[in-house]
Amino acid sequence: MDGGSCALWLSGVRAGYGKAPVLNGLSLSVKKGEHLAILGENGAGKTTLFRAILHLLPDIAGTIRVLGRDVKSREDGAWVRSRVGYVPQGQGKGRLPISVFEAVMLGRWGKSFSYFRRPGARDRELTAEILDVVGLWDLRDKDCRALSGGQTQRLHIARALVREPQILLLDEPTTYLDDASRDVLARLIDQVRKKWPLTMLMIIHDWQYARRLADRAVYLRRGRIEECLEVV
Amino acid sequence: MSIGEYLQVPIFQRALLAALVAGGTVSLLGVVIVMLNLTTMRFALMHMALLGGAAGLAFGASPLAGATAAIVLGSLFLGPFSERLRLDAGITGAFFMTGSIALAFVLFYKAGVPALDVFGLFTGSLLSLSRDDLLAVAGLGAAILLVYACLFREIQLVFYDPEQAEWLGVPAKRIKNALLFLTGLSIGVAMKVVGALLIDALILIPAMTAMRLSRSLLQILVLSSFFGTAAAAGGLLISMALDMPSGAAITLTGVCLLGLSVFIRR
Ligand SMILES: Nc1ncnc2c1ncn2[C@@H]1O[C@H](COP(=O)(O)OP(=O)(O)OP(=O)(O)O)[C@@H](O)[C@H]1O
Ligand SMILES: [Mg+2]
Repeated sequence: MDGGSCALWLSGVRAGYGKAPVLNGLSLSVKKGEHLAILGENGAGKTTLFRAILHLLPDIAGTIRVLGRDVKSREDGAWVRSRVGYVPQGQGKGRLPISVFEAVMLGRWGKSFSYFRRPGARDRELTAEILDVVGLWDLRDKDCRALSGGQTQRLHIARALVREPQILLLDEPTTYLDDASRDVLARLIDQVRKKWPLTMLMIIHDWQYARRLADRAVYLRRGRIEECLEVV
Repeated sequence: MSIGEYLQVPIFQRALLAALVAGGTVSLLGVVIVMLNLTTMRFALMHMALLGGAAGLAFGASPLAGATAAIVLGSLFLGPFSERLRLDAGITGAFFMTGSIALAFVLFYKAGVPALDVFGLFTGSLLSLSRDDLLAVAGLGAAILLVYACLFREIQLVFYDPEQAEWLGVPAKRIKNALLFLTGLSIGVAMKVVGALLIDALILIPAMTAMRLSRSLLQILVLSSFFGTAAAAGGLLISMALDMPSGAAITLTGVCLLGLSVFIRR
């Protein structure tokens, strides 16, 4: 298989931050529309895998094919980042006074506005639609710094979705969330799935939770995919 | 003399114009100091200005020319320098602050530079501004407005989420360095207008007042500019009416506005 029909195809990927590579001959393929859960111990390289997919690491060896395109150069990286949404691990609230609406709309920077091009009607419509989906429409004028942990997490997901990504990478979306908020998040992900045919990769520590949201789960150990766990 | 009579005199007219322009624009960089954590950096730039002033005197130039040159160089290099060494801008600032003040003392001693001449930099005055100074202030003000007008969304994103800004392709580092450079130039202007020890009155205090009352970056900018103008022009007029040093009057006006905002917000 060459990964032509896959959303994501990685083969023999070695990457890291300096001397010893964190990802060590990692191979993985994800079908279009599939929801994949990634499990693994702290420090196994899960976040590093996401950074490799987004071409945010200094040197990457092996093949990474995203939506059918081999990612090698800086331009490829930019191409990928305009099609892949990314919600990093442990995002804070920031220090700038900014409304929920503006924060989400800023996620579209580089898509349809930048420098001299101001955000237009399309940006506002899309922002409103996404806020509605994640259930933050009523809080649209609220200062982001005054949101609860669960609301903040939904805000960050909205900031990724507003870029109309084909692939969404969620890095531990459930940390800091209580059971009720996890439930809200799970229903949100279901809803997103119904609305858009997204491919989704989620780093999740909770196996039960992974089973609920994903079609398939993989276990990452020492920079490789160790086992594929079937989700029934 | 009454205020009306003062304002017939070209020197005072020029001072008022400079207060309006500098107060309205330089204050726009206060939010940069807060969001990019440049509080130590601005102290470092001030101390480098002192070193520059000493060097200027030692080489027979005016202390202000030396100080301005030092600030320009410092603000051009401090940002990229801390980036390169992966240091916090605050740490680099502290390093250069003590380093440059020590060098200045060596210069005072070795070159026999009279320290008091350099410390003259610590007191500025609106009334000492020349026509060229006024033009320089206006040029800087225009540059600040232009940067905010062209890069508003980019600056907003860099302040809100610098990491996302970076990977979305916003030239975050270049924007930060440009803002640091403008901040450096503004410190130079503020030294001339209110004196080195009172630069915060013009740059930081209006922004702090604005940030207490604002809910968005745009509001912060509009209010900073308003409070900056009010403090600078109001302070100048008060100094004429009550016969006070203008730098002190401007600072006290700014501090009063800040105090008032604390009160209002309650
Ligand atoms: N910026 C960095 N510079 C150098 N080394 C790093 C950096 N980020 C992570 N590492 C190292 O890479 C390894 C993998 O880190 P990674 O963040 O991918 O782990 P993870 O699986 O996401 O862990 P966690 O569950 O704690 O989030 C770790 O040993 C870590 O120390
Ligand atoms: Mg991680």
